[in-house]
Amino acid sequence: MLPIIHILNYLLPFLYILTFYVYYYDFMHENSSFNNAKRIFLFVTLFIHLIYLLIRTAEFNHPPITTKFEIFTVLAFTISFSYFLLELLTDIRGTGLFIIIFSVVFQIISSFYIQDLLVVKEVLRNRLLGLHVISALLGYSGFTIAAVHGVLFLILYKDIKLSKFGLIFNRLPSLETLEKLNFYSVIIGFILLTFSIIIGVIWLPGAFPDFSYYDPKLIATSIIWLIFGIGIATKVIAKWYGKKVIIFSLVGFVLAILSLIIPNIFAKSFHSFY
Amino acid sequence: MKLLGVSINHKTSPIEVREAFHLSRDEIIHFIPLLKERLFTQGIILSTCNRTEIFGLPKSNDVSCNDIIKHIISYKNSHGICADHFKKYFSRNAVKHILSVASGIDSLILGDSQILGQVKEAFQLSEDHNFSGTIMRKIIDTSIRVGKRAIHETELGKGAVTVSYAAVQIIEKIFTSLYTKNALIIGAGETGELAAIHLYDRGVENIFISNRTDERAELLAKKVSGKTVPFEDIKSRLYKFDIIVSATSSEEFILDFDNVKTAMKRRRHNPIVITDIAIPRDVDPKVKKLDNVFYNDIDSLHIIIDDNLRKRKLAIPIVEKIVHEEMSNLFAWYNTLEVVPTIKVIRDFFKKIEKDELEKIKHKVTEEDYHKIEEMTKRLLGRILHNPTIKLRKLAESGTHHEEINEDTMILKELFGLENRPKNGTPKNDDEELN
Repeated sequence: MLPIIHILNYLLPFLYILTFYVYYYDFMHENSSFNNAKRIFLFVTLFIHLIYLLIRTAEFNHPPITTKFEIFTVLAFTISFSYFLLELLTDIRGTGLFIIIFSVVFQIISSFYIQDLLVVKEVLRNRLLGLHVISALLGYSGFTIAAVHGVLFLILYKDIKLSKFGLIFNRLPSLETLEKLNFYSVIIGFILLTFSIIIGVIWLPGAFPDFSYYDPKLIATSIIWLIFGIGIATKVIAKWYGKKVIIFSLVGFVLAILSLIIPNIFAKSFHSFY
Repeated sequence: MKLLGVSINHKTSPIEVREAFHLSRDEIIHFIPLLKERLFTQGIILSTCNRTEIFGLPKSNDVSCNDIIKHIISYKNSHGICADHFKKYFSRNAVKHILSVASGIDSLILGDSQILGQVKEAFQLSEDHNFSGTIMRKIIDTSIRVGKRAIHETELGKGAVTVSYAAVQIIEKIFTSLYTKNALIIGAGETGELAAIHLYDRGVENIFISNRTDERAELLAKKVSGKTVPFEDIKSRLYKFDIIVSATSSEEFILDFDNVKTAMKRRRHNPIVITDIAIPRDVDPKVKKLDNVFYNDIDSLHIIIDDNLRKRKLAIPIVEKIVHEEMSNLFAWYNTLEVVPTIKVIRDFFKKIEKDELEKIKHKVTEEDYHKIEEMTKRLLGRILHNPTIKLRKLAESGTHHEEINEDTMILKELFGLENRPKNGTPKNDDEELN
C-alpha cells in the first residue's frame, strides 16, 4: 500500500493544479469547451483524493489528523468538496477558480512535508475524534468558501459602483447570487462547526484527563461560533443585506483563522498534539 | 446561378429614402403577383425599418436589376427618387449578400438578432403566395443556417449594444431574480418604452410607469402589463422600487440626493439600481456615493456598448468565413443540378430493364424465389449505378469540370442509347424534376 500512498501523494498536487487551470481557462474564456468538463476534472480529483485519504487511514491505522500536514491534505479535500457540493446544488460555476486555489496551496504544502506516521498517541486513533476534527474542518471550509464569495462580492460591488465593466463584471454571477452563496456557505459551516463542538463537548472530557472548559482553543472556537451565529441571526431576523453581512462574515473568517493559529502558538492546551 | 436582386439599406441611402421604399406586409402581398407576372419565377421580398431587399430568379435573360428598380419605384410611386440609392446584385454576389444580411453583419446594429426572424418571415410570405421554389428555398435555408451559426459559433450576437439593453445587463449583475423586483420607469418616451419592454422580457413582473402626461404612461403600462404612478408621487413612493430607469426630457433633476437618501433609509438600505438615460440627467449623480445605490448614466452605459461592439467587430471575419463555407456548399449543391437529369434518365433506363426482365420470370418461379430475385436485381443495379452516380455528382459539385461532365454524360447516353437531352439541363428552374 505504501507505494500507492506515495504515488497519490505526489499526484494530487498535479491534479489540483490541472483542475485549477481548467477553471481558470473557463473563467478567462467565455463559452469555453470546459464549461461542463471542468466539473468532471474536479470530481476525478476529489475521488482520487478520497481514495488516498481512505488508504492512508487504513494503512496507518489512524485518521489523517495527527499532524499539520495531514490536516492540510484533509483541508484541501474538504474545501474543494464543499465547493463541489455548492456548485452541484446551485449550478453556479463562475467562482470555483478562487476556491480551488486554496486546495492547491494546502495540498502542495502537505505533499512536500507529510510523513508516514505509524506510531501516534492512542487517542488520535479514535474515530469520534476523527469525526470531531473532520466536521470542524468542513465547517472551516464552509467559512473559507463564504469568505471567498464575500471578497468577490466586494470586488464586483466596487466595479459596478465605479462603472468598471471588465472581466470580473462579465464572468462573475450577480451580487445577489454571490451574497446568497456567501450566506449558504456560512450556514453550512456553522452547522458543521456546531456538530463538531457538540461531539467535542460530549466526548472529549472523558478522553482527555486534562480537559478544561477554559481551554483557549475551545473559548476561541466558541467566540467564532457566536460571531457567525449573530451574523446569521442579523441576516434572518434584521434582514441585513449586502456589504454589512459580507463584512460580518469576513471578520468571522479572519477571527476563525486567528483562532486556529494563536492558541496553538501562545497557549498550552490539551488540544495541542503537534 | 441567375439570381438577381436590389437592396436599399442604411449603407446605400438616408432614412427618408429607406422609409419611402419600406414595404408593409400587405404591400408585399400585393407586390409579389406583379413580380411573378413580369420578372421572377421565384423570389423573396424582405422589408424592415432599415432595409428593403428584393431578390429572385428571372423569368428570362432579358430581366435586369434596373427592371426591379423601375417596378419598385413605380409601385411605391416614388418617381422623384434617384435609382442610385439601390445597390444591385447578381449571381454569387447576390447569394453572398443574402447570406450576409441573415448573419447580421450587414445590419445597422451589428449582429442584430431580429434579422434572422425577419428573413424567415419574408420567405414564409413567399411560400404562402407560391413565390418560392427549390433554389430560393435552398438559398434561404442556407442563409438561416449562416445566421444560426453566426449566433452560436461567434461573439457576433453577444452583449448589449443598445442603451436600454446595456441598462438591463447591469441590473442583471445586481439582482438574480428579476421577477420579484419592482421597477419604475420615469418617462414614457421611446427610450423609456424600450427599457420597459426589455425589463418585461427579462421577467420583471411589477413594472410601474410614471410620466408627466398620464395618458402616455397608461399606454405604456398596458404594453408591459404594468401600472402607473402619478408623476408627483414619485419621490414619496421611491423607496418601494428596486429598479429605476429615468428617461425624461426634464431640464432639472427629478430625483436629488436627499430624495434617494430618504428612500434608502425607508427601504433599510436594500440595493437600488438607478439608470439615468436622460440628457440632461434626471437624477443627481451624487447618489452614487450612497451605499447600495447603483447609479449609471448614459456615459457608463456606453462603456458596455463600446466594449461589446468592439467584440462584435472582431467576429466579422469569422462570420465571413462561415458565409464563404456555406456558399461553397450551396454552389456545390447547385452544380449537381446539372447532372440530375442524366442520372435520372440512366436510373429509369435500368429500372425499366429490371422491370421487364422480372416480368418475364414472374410466373416461372415460386413467389418466394421471385422476391429473392427481385431483391438481388435491386442490389445489383444499386452497385452498378453507384460509382457513375457518385462520380458525376462529385464532378458537378466542384463546379469546374463542365467539359468533363458533358463528355461523361454524352458517353453514358450513347453507350446505353438514351435520348440526348440539352446538356446543361433545363431542370434548374423546374421544381418538379428536381424533387
